Amino acid sequence: MYIVEFLLKRIAQGVVIIFLTSLLIFTLLRVVPGDPVRLIVGGMAPANVVEEVATKMGLRDPIIVQYGRYMAGLLHGDLGQSYLRPKSGMIATGGEYVDPTRADMAGVGELILERLPLTLQLAGVALVFAFLVAFPIGIAGGLRPNGWPGVLAFATQSLFVSIPNFWLAIVLILLLSVQLGWLPALGYRGFAYVILPAIVLAVEIAPFLIRTLTVSLGEIMQSHFIDEARVRGLPRRRIVYGHALRNAAVPLANLLGIQLSSLIGGVLVVEYIFDYPGLGHLTVLSVVGRDFPTIQGIAITTSAVFVFVNIVVDLISYAIDPRVEL
Amino acid sequence: MVETIAALGPGEFAPKRVEGSIARQILSTAWRSTGFRIGFTVFVLLLVASAVWPELSPYDAVKMDMKARFLPPLFLGDKWAWGHPLGTDQLGRDMLLRCLVGLRYSLFIGVTTVALMFVVGCGLGLLSGFRGGLWDTVIMRLTDAQLSIPMIILAITILGVSKPTVPTIILVLGLSGWPLYARVARSAAVAERGKEYVRGLRVVGAGDWRILFLFAAPNILPPIAFVAVLDIARIMIFEAILGFLGLGIQPPTPSFGTIISDSRKYLINAWWIGTSPGVFLAVALTAINLMGAALEKARNKVYGGA
Repeated sequence: MYIVEFLLKRIAQGVVIIFLTSLLIFTLLRVVPGDPVRLIVGGMAPANVVEEVATKMGLRDPIIVQYGRYMAGLLHGDLGQSYLRPKSGMIATGGEYVDPTRADMAGVGELILERLPLTLQLAGVALVFAFLVAFPIGIAGGLRPNGWPGVLAFATQSLFVSIPNFWLAIVLILLLSVQLGWLPALGYRGFAYVILPAIVLAVEIAPFLIRTLTVSLGEIMQSHFIDEARVRGLPRRRIVYGHALRNAAVPLANLLGIQLSSLIGGVLVVEYIFDYPGLGHLTVLSVVGRDFPTIQGIAITTSAVFVFVNIVVDLISYAIDPRVEL
Repeated sequence: MVETIAALGPGEFAPKRVEGSIARQILSTAWRSTGFRIGFTVFVLLLVASAVWPELSPYDAVKMDMKARFLPPLFLGDKWAWGHPLGTDQLGRDMLLRCLVGLRYSLFIGVTTVALMFVVGCGLGLLSGFRGGLWDTVIMRLTDAQLSIPMIILAITILGVSKPTVPTIILVLGLSGWPLYARVARSAAVAERGKEYVRGLRVVGAGDWRILFLFAAPNILPPIAFVAVLDIARIMIFEAILGFLGLGIQPPTPSFGTIISDSRKYLINAWWIGTSPGVFLAVALTAINLMGAALEKARNKVYGGA
């Protein structure tokens, strides 16, 4: 019953957050200078054509009216249509006259649903890689914080956190893809294309995992219940894996909730560099092309993912350690 | 005994200590670690280099020189040419100079942005923790709301739609980072409010604002400021990412992000154009991270925590 109440409360809060994010992005896009119509009709079009198209698209109505129209569509599950992307998938800007009021522009909903699985796949593989690196280093560092494992954990973490992700990506493309030809780098035509971007993302995530593991494991190993387990004569392996790690998992789960925001940032850049057709790639292109409906759709999707992940993280923490307050 | 005093926190016993303020204690503890010394030395060297060399260099960071395009670095050419130690880029501009000017912008944006986040965040946090009541409710709900919005999308949206300049970049990054500071400052202020000396000052008749800014803030802020050092590195990476996406400082002004982004076209034949700014940035970030980590550890030690 407690959990049901918790879920209802958090989902209600989540809806408010998503609503606020959409309102914020919607308003910002229209208040901040930079007219999408100018990009759509091309730089040479006379001012009256710009105005005509803008009026037709509803961009000259008061923001409240525009937002109301958008929300009405959203309640029916309609995220609107892209300004830039026709259904055929080609992008036409500038020279050729594109009419965004036409029916053959791609729906934002489909654009996002098409790319979301690819991004989730990338994030999932990256998390697996990051855990593979962070677990041994972090656990060793937490068990012997003053010995060489502690130094190794600190060194890896300082090094990884200091490497700019986009630069690492370029260097890896140059070495592993161009020079050695081991892995494909650009685009997406099968699972092999996930590996290189996932490595870059993993290097970005791993230091936080290592840090949290060493710190929390180090603290836990000094607590009374571990001493007690030692007195009871439990084997070391059982103490570490059965008792200590279980407790260290709570801060680890929380960390993922907190770091999600920077993870999203990483995905954005990495997808852009590797030309990986996921949500991050779509975001960058939409921002550069001032594709308002697509940006709004992505912002709503991202904040929904945000809300969802944070609820899941709290549930996981509660499942591991019932003392955690929901 | 010393530990017990430290564990009681700042305030009560601080005046009695020979070492002086908490800030000085943290600094002297950090100074004892090798990591901090290495980081500090490298950081100062880079700082001096980026401050001095661009003024002395015979070249111009933005002027093209078509006769000197794609010159390799010192150790790679047929003979050693000291003119361009790190080579030149696709437009014949000196890479060393461009990297150092880029570092200047990067450091400037990193430090100013963190200062902005610190002032806004800690100001609101102190207010909310110390005054409580309506202030507290409003400010904390605001932080909650902002922490649950994916700020990166917001940031690149604003910068993508408006024209990015140095002040807008600082403003956007700074406004996206203050809530964490507000939370930390608030919890410290709540703890400080209950202390003996604050009650004493109240009895003497000091007002809230006076206690807050003259007595409590000097105890609360330095430890947070030291941990903020790590944030400088984070913001510097973020600035470089923005530049890379074309949403940072606009060319021809050199910034790490734009240099690396432009260098991609020449990666195979002139790899040094993209490599050297990356190495500069990574070294600067490592230095800052080493200092930040040592300061954080020192702060925990001074406070008697983990």
